[in-house]
Amino acid sequence: MSDFHNRSQISARRSDYVWQYEYYEEEEPVSFDGLRAHRYSIVIGFWVGLAVFVMFMFFVLTLLTKTGAPHQENPDLAEKRPRPGSCLVDINGHQEENDKAFSRPLLAGSRSYFNFYINEEDQDQGRPKRDDNRSSARDKTSRGLCSSGMDEMEEDLEAAGGHGRLSGHVEKTKTDREFLSHFNIPNFVNLDHSSTLGEDDLLYEPSVILERQAQAHNDHCDSR
Amino acid sequence: MNSGLMNQTDCPEVMVPFTVFFIVGVVSLAENLLVVVAVIRNRNLHSPMYCFICSLAAFNTIASVTKTWENLMIVLSDMGQLEKRGPSETKLDDVMDSLLCMSFVGSIFSFLAIAVDRYITIFHALRYHNIMTMQRTGVILGAIWTTCGMLAVLMVKFFDFKFVMICLVVFFIISLAVICFLYVYMFMLARIHAKNIAALPIGRKSRRQQRWSSIMRGALTLTILFGAFVVCWVPFFLHLIIIMVCPMNPYCECYRSLFQLHVVLMMSHALIDPAIYAFRRHQCTFVVCFIYP
Repeated sequence: MSDFHNRSQISARRSDYVWQYEYYEEEEPVSFDGLRAHRYSIVIGFWVGLAVFVMFMFFVLTLLTKTGAPHQENPDLAEKRPRPGSCLVDINGHQEENDKAFSRPLLAGSRSYFNFYINEEDQDQGRPKRDDNRSSARDKTSRGLCSSGMDEMEEDLEAAGGHGRLSGHVEKTKTDREFLSHFNIPNFVNLDHSSTLGEDDLLYEPSVILERQAQAHNDHCDSR
Repeated sequence: MNSGLMNQTDCPEVMVPFTVFFIVGVVSLAENLLVVVAVIRNRNLHSPMYCFICSLAAFNTIASVTKTWENLMIVLSDMGQLEKRGPSETKLDDVMDSLLCMSFVGSIFSFLAIAVDRYITIFHALRYHNIMTMQRTGVILGAIWTTCGMLAVLMVKFFDFKFVMICLVVFFIISLAVICFLYVYMFMLARIHAKNIAALPIGRKSRRQQRWSSIMRGALTLTILFGAFVVCWVPFFLHLIIIMVCPMNPYCECYRSLFQLHVVLMMSHALIDPAIYAFRRHQCTFVVCFIYP
């Protein structure tokens, strides 16, 4: 009987511990005699550990960034500048230096995914859901939303192939797509063409480009 | 008896004033309600990404409402208007507990869904519209809400069993690991790809610095996102672990005395969630869409 009473007390206390505020019972005082360390040592240790973990994560991420710091890029660019015509080779070569597991899904950089996307767009032209919002009256607002939907990290990740980024490509090259689709143009010509369009602008200021083209182009990003 | 009382006050429970709870609850309620209504009313925001953000905001709204209501009940019972152990109050307490449970588990599921959605956006960008259709999004959200509802009822009913708490803690740790892995993987891919782009014969120094600063911003965003999640949720779950592992240890007792602070931290995560996920630099654009659907 007393066991049952104790168990019910403990179970009531356990639920009290989590969800209610009055959970310190008088029956079982905790002895504070003979403490070797400070009373709040677990609390202090926990918060210090948490702060260290967050700072460590930030520094690991920035150290990952620093391996691509500006001063290290000079030798790479000095090698590549005299060979503008073979950008295809350069990208592929550079890809192999890096981790293949990461870059493989992107099909060796912007060039291939650029054309890949154009090919997919050509195939998907008949799909009704792409045409639903083409004549939306709120392109400008939705364009702003496209960019508002991505935070800074995703704007960088858009360079790695986000679909918002894709819409930037599509918008920029929609007029060009009709031009290109009439010709069976090999890949490297597309790359040259895209670099004349200011690919860096697209890569590094996607939101600006998106907003700039709000009135002129349809919204692809909101067709989902 | 006297010595027992003196021992108990060595680590007195840290009380957070009710006004703090009310302010945090009301502000987070207003923010998350704004997000939910804006996403529902505006057709331009009917996309998988915004659906998951809306689901997260809905769970946070439920948590804020429940917590504020619970605070009100406690204030009333302290003033003597309500009986603390009456049958209707206990039932109401159970309902509020299960709602809170549902919203916490649902928030974690929503974070997972948002991370997976972003992962698919990056790594399967070309097939994103085939993989993440609105039907699948609806199915996923329906599954999340049903699971959370069922889990909430079960958890509160069977909270006496340690198994429930262990499951909750294990679920939280696994979600944390998955979210961390997904975001760091996405970040590393962004870094590598940006490096590849920088290797093109561009020749302008400002571009390289721009790229570098954009990746720094990405690192900061990722740290804020993951850091806020960890700082706000881990103390409460450590509290659960400590209840199970060392209920009688004095050091653990001192940690448990900070329970109300940990609850305030969890509520404040519901407050900063919209800022991290929904509101961006183009915050005014978001509000404009709300006003002009």
